[in-house]
Amino acid sequence: MTRRVVAALAVVALLAACAAGPQTQRLQREHAAVELAGVPFFPQEAYQCGPAALATVLAAAGVDVSPAALVDEVYVPARRGSLQAEMLAAVRRRGHLPVLLDAQIDAALRELHAGRPVLVLQNLGAGPLPVWHYAVLIGFDPQTQRFILRSGRERRLMLPARRFLETWDRGGRWMLVVADVDTPPASAGVDGWLRAAAPLESLGQTALAERAYEAAVQRWPDAALAWAALGNARAAAGALRPALDAYRRALALEDPPLLRNNYAWTLAAAGCRDAAIAQLQTGLQQADGGERAVLERTLQEIESARPDGAQCPM
Amino acid sequence: MQRFRSLTAVAVVCALALASIAAPASAALVTTERMLGASAPTDARAQVDGFLAREDVRRQLEAWGVPPAQAEARIAALSPAELQRLAAEIERVPAGGGLLEVFGVVFVVLLILELVGVINVFSRI
Repeated sequence: MTRRVVAALAVVALLAACAAGPQTQRLQREHAAVELAGVPFFPQEAYQCGPAALATVLAAAGVDVSPAALVDEVYVPARRGSLQAEMLAAVRRRGHLPVLLDAQIDAALRELHAGRPVLVLQNLGAGPLPVWHYAVLIGFDPQTQRFILRSGRERRLMLPARRFLETWDRGGRWMLVVADVDTPPASAGVDGWLRAAAPLESLGQTALAERAYEAAVQRWPDAALAWAALGNARAAAGALRPALDAYRRALALEDPPLLRNNYAWTLAAAGCRDAAIAQLQTGLQQADGGERAVLERTLQEIESARPDGAQCPM
Repeated sequence: MQRFRSLTAVAVVCALALASIAAPASAALVTTERMLGASAPTDARAQVDGFLAREDVRRQLEAWGVPPAQAEARIAALSPAELQRLAAEIERVPAGGGLLEVFGVVFVVLLILELVGVINVFSRI
């Protein structure tokens, strides 16, 4: 019985390997061989591929942590698995950024060539019987058309490109790399990077968020949102004048009402009440429903506050 | 459950109302998360939603066997926008765990799917 099953599986695997689609042919043409052999390996215990895969990408980024230490943060006993949101949180807790990649396999290959392993979510089942699995992509061999993964108890799993791409596609094309807050990954876009950093603000890790935004304006100096984010982090930390500088850079590029709201709030906090009111009035002219409520509330508060005699530095 | 939720909502609304009498609601900076298009609590209504999302996720984690003290710490590591997204679809979100043992009917079904080439659980995990 076992032998027949193995034989049947071998036939299936062979057929799959032979049928190279246009996607795999393109991969073979466009991408050089790469394998990050130095990425550590933590064999998975029971259903705990989440902690194992997470420890792998964290260790590769220089964070010393064992899968056992991550179990209490990301393993959900009754689900026999780990939730994506908690995987992100565990990376942030260690002072690093969890950056989600664009849903294109080229993004993963760029990261591999830049020396960064990629944590992926695969769905090994299908339809009503999903089998979710985290693994770490460490390489690609264009000759044999195989992706190389640290997966489960396999140190070096060579998965035919088509099979890997199918399971990755069914898993929602979810891919994560671990970056230090000063270095946006090679394939990251400005939105992806800001999305990775923004939760730090609401979690009270403003200093880390500010460093990530500093890195963002270095890499994408023409992105208004990067400057706005930097202003937000500085204003939240009470650094009003540097915050105003960042907001002005943002406003020179784009002019969304919510940005004007924050600029005005910071102006008022710095003692420039009249300038703040003028900013809000300008912003209100273009604000839609939800934005209008935010701006009107700020305006109300600034108008009702007593001028406290603070010197407007402008 | 529904009843508990509405009671909790009433309690939170009252608490917020009292708080706003004591200290007028403070207009605040719009967070970067909100600028990026995520829904993050900013007004009173959203604060109630945020509170409920937090409770929903906490209760679900505990129901799934996470010890209460640990669940609290794990919730604290998620941002308001993440909690809301998670609460909205917690029954459906994937939990990556891999597959080391499969038994009974599930095994047979998976095997058939495998043999007809729909899935590939058994090609090694």
